[in-house]
Order: sequence, then C-alpha cells, then structure tokens
Amino acid sequence: MQIYLPIAEISVNLLLLLGLGAGVGFLSGMFGVGGGFLMTPLLMFIGIPPAVAVSTEANQIVASSSSGALAHWRRGTLDIKMGLLLLVGGASGSIFGVQLFAILRGMGQIDLIISLCYVGFLGIIGGLMFIESVTAIWRRRQASAAGGPPVSRHRKRTWIDTLPFKMRFPKSGLYLSVIPPIVIGFFVGTLAAIMGVGGGFVMVPAMIYVLRMPTNVVVGTSLFQILFVTALTTFLQASQNQTVDVVLALSLIVGGVIGAQLGARAGRRVSAENLRAALAFMVLAVCAKLGWDLVATPADLFAILPVSGAGH
Amino acid sequence: MSVLTAILMALTIQTADVPIAEEAPGILAALTQETVEIRSNFAGAELILYGAVRGLEDGDDIVVVVRGPAQDLRVMRKARTFGIWINRAPVQFEDVPGYYAVASTRPLTDIGAFTALRRSGIGLDHLRLSAPETESQEVRFGVEVTVSEIGEEIADYRGAIARMRRNESLFSETSEGVDIIDGGLFRAVVALPPSTPVGEYTADVYLFRNGQPVALRSIGLDVHKAGLERIIYNFAYEHSMLYGLVAVALALLFGWGAAAIFSRR
Repeated sequence: MQIYLPIAEISVNLLLLLGLGAGVGFLSGMFGVGGGFLMTPLLMFIGIPPAVAVSTEANQIVASSSSGALAHWRRGTLDIKMGLLLLVGGASGSIFGVQLFAILRGMGQIDLIISLCYVGFLGIIGGLMFIESVTAIWRRRQASAAGGPPVSRHRKRTWIDTLPFKMRFPKSGLYLSVIPPIVIGFFVGTLAAIMGVGGGFVMVPAMIYVLRMPTNVVVGTSLFQILFVTALTTFLQASQNQTVDVVLALSLIVGGVIGAQLGARAGRRVSAENLRAALAFMVLAVCAKLGWDLVATPADLFAILPVSGAGH
Repeated sequence: MSVLTAILMALTIQTADVPIAEEAPGILAALTQETVEIRSNFAGAELILYGAVRGLEDGDDIVVVVRGPAQDLRVMRKARTFGIWINRAPVQFEDVPGYYAVASTRPLTDIGAFTALRRSGIGLDHLRLSAPETESQEVRFGVEVTVSEIGEEIADYRGAIARMRRNESLFSETSEGVDIIDGGLFRAVVALPPSTPVGEYTADVYLFRNGQPVALRSIGLDVHKAGLERIIYNFAYEHSMLYGLVAVALALLFGWGAAAIFSRR
C-alpha cells in the first residue's frame, strides 16, 4: 500500500512506515529510550531525504516524549527549575542548530555531518553502555558474600562547584552554578536540530555524572526538556526549511504509540542488565552500518543535490 | 443540372486527384491525459501519446521527446579524505529537465544526423546540460565556441547526471518506443516514475526524413499535486509557521491521546 509523502515528495509503503514506527516504538518502550537515534538513520536508509528525516523525527519525538513527560509531571518526579534552565540552553541550541543545518545543507555537506555525528555519538554511548552492562552482568554472576562496596552519598567537590552564578535546586537537593545546565541544554538542543534525536542518551548521563542529580528526577526532567526542545525544533524546521512532513510524522506516531505500549510490557519481563546489553549491541550495530557507509567506496562517485533556495 | 454543379464536380475531382504525399508533412498528436494529479496513492503514471502523420513516407521516422520542468542542480564528486568519502568540487548545472524521455521508431543514430540531434537536444548524448559558471565563450579560429574551464572533467559530471537520473527512471531513451500502427498512425508510452517532478511538461513529436526533422508538434502536460497532498504542501510552504504549530499540536494530541487510552486499560 503506497502512500505519497507531500513534503518528502516520494512514495513509500504505508505498512513499512507503520511497521518502522511500531518496531522502534517497541524498542523505545522496552528500553526506555526515545528511539530517535534509531529512527532517523532508518528513515534515511529507506530513501527519505536526510533533511526531511531529521525534522520529521523531531516532530515524532514531541509525541513520544509528551506522554512520558505528562506522567512524570503528575507523579512530581520532575525538577521544573532545572528543566527550565536546561530549556533556556536547549532553545538557544535548537535555534543555533537549525541555522547550522541550513548552512551545511547549502554547502552540500549535511549528510556527511549527520553521519559523522551519529557514528561518533553512537560509538561512544554504545561502547560505554556495552562495557557497563557487561561488567554489571559479570558482577551479578560473581555475586558473593560481600554486599558490594558502600556507596558514598557524600559528593566530592569538582570543578563544577567552582563556577559562579550558583542557584538552589530544592527538588534535586543541589546548590549549583547555572552554567553547566545551560551548556548541557545548548549542546543537546543543537544535537536535536542536526541529528533529529531527543538527546536523552546524552542528557541522562550528563545529569547523573556531571550535574549529579538524584536518579528519580533525571528521566522526568530530561523528558520535560526534550518535549519543549523538539517542539521548538519542529516549529523552526517547518517555518525555516519546510522539511517537516506531517503525513510521515503521523504514520510513525501511530505505529510508535502502539509499539511503545507493547514494548513497555515486554520490558518488564527482562532483567535490566540484559536489556542494556541488548540496547548497546543495537546502538553499536547502527553505528557500524553508518560508519561502513562513510568509508566504503560508494556505488556512484557523484552526488546530485538540489540547489539551495531554488524554486518551489 | 446547371453549369454550377458541373463546375463543382470538376473541382472535387481535381482535389481528389492530388496525391497525399505531396502535401507538406504535418503531425497531429494528443496525450491520453493532459494533466496528471499526484494524490496520496500516486505511484507513477503511464500515459499514451498517440497521433497521426500526414504524408508519412517509407523511411520516415518519428521521435517523441518529453521534457519535465527545468531545475538547477549541483553535482558533486566524492573524494576520499582521511578514509571518508566527502562531497567535493561542486559544479552547478542550470535548467536541467527534471524529466527527460526520448522514444523513437528506430535507434537515434540511424534516424538523425549528429548536428540535427544536437541542435534539437534529442537523445541523452545530445541533451543540453550547461554549467555556466565553468564555461566561457572564446573565439577560436574566428568562431565563437563554448569552452569548459574544467576541461574533460565536465563530461564525467554530465555522464553522472544522465546515469543517476536513468537509475531513478527520470531519464530514459527507448529506441523502438514509438509504434507505427497503420499508415500514419503512431503511439508511444510515456512512463512517469513516482518521483517525477511537479510542473509543466512538454512533449515534442518530430518527423525525421533523410536525417533532418521536417515537422514538429508540441503538446503540453501538467503534473500537479492534488487533493490533500496539494493542501498540505501549499500549507507547508505558504503558511510555514502555522504549519509548524499544527505539526506540534497534532503530535501532542496523539501522544497524550495514546497515553489516555492505554492508561485506562
């Protein structure tokens, strides 16, 4: 069943789109990740122009993060003050990213930059996750008499604590400079615009290891920031680059919400370490495929690109 | 019976006596559809171009050339840098047809002289692909000629356009794509792939005799988005900001709607 996408201007199979949405939604529900880092490359693999894939995926993440953000809001597991600071950085990052995207597209290098970003980030994140989950599984197997090393609740002073403009974050129990959250937010916002991802895979580790936020508010706060940043990115990409395809986005969303629910149910039956190892493996597989495409001799040594700003 | 009737009869006989072949050759042609609408189920279209040639002689050939709307293209050559393939050396081509199909009764080289094909831009080898930025006009031996600043390389770029567009079925060349059915009647199939560009197309029908075109007939074809596809496309380009807001609102509606439905269960 073919469907013509009005903005991407190609005809694709609707069942394929629903299936992709459901498949990635299933994984994201199971692993508790956004799935943008899988969906954007997959859309490009099936022939959606990269510019449309990235912008439309931002639109889909609005839908997939909104229900989670709402749930965390109701439960109160969300640090609004920190979220707003991240958002200030994220909004400026998104505006910057959309401009950068337009410039790179004009230079004919956007595909390369998107691929390089993916290979770099997926390689680092996947590698770290893989090592961490493997050691966790290994440790559990060795689970011996001693109940593990005592976890120190006392925070060590780092360079982060020497920065000025400190502020209290009662919800997270932190007294921290406003600079790190804004910088992290900016960075994630830029990624969202260029890579078509929510950026949770960068934000969550950064919140835990750099900002040292308590884990119970990390996911909610991250979803809160992702929701607003992807909404802004969608708006900016649509108004500036006209690259958001609502027909594509809705097909993915419909498949995605169903897949996510099924995935969340399936995820409860599998142990966390095994899940993380499987996710790490998948991230590395996507990374390897994109990396291979960068270095392998292409089928055609020429590329035809539309001239930017040319008529419509 | 009057004198007048006699004269009229004589005149009729006289006109009937004139052999058809002596008339100036002419072409009548039409497409089965003059507009193609791209709707949500658009998966390409196949049109029939049919017509008749007045004064078709043995050894005459018919060539049909369909051109889509002109586009400017940037062609880049990939080069390996630090092990990674990077797009380099852009060359800008102007007014390249977004769709280009040639169908003929016999292979083009048998039909027309090189200069005749080149002049009318008939065939993938003769399609005009100009890159003004890399060209300059020079006078050599008293004749003004177009010289490419990147020399022989321009041929690789032109070849790349033809090759890639062919792979996407946007360019094609089919010898024996025109059937002469009976006497002066002919038909040809025009196949538009799903990725065919939107805009005004022209179909030129040439009659070739002794290597030269002796008659030409042009007909127009309009390819446009229709229905919901058109509404969405126009909305996205004409009211971009509102479109962005609607896209966000729809995503929120679906996200929250799904959460509400599933949490109730």
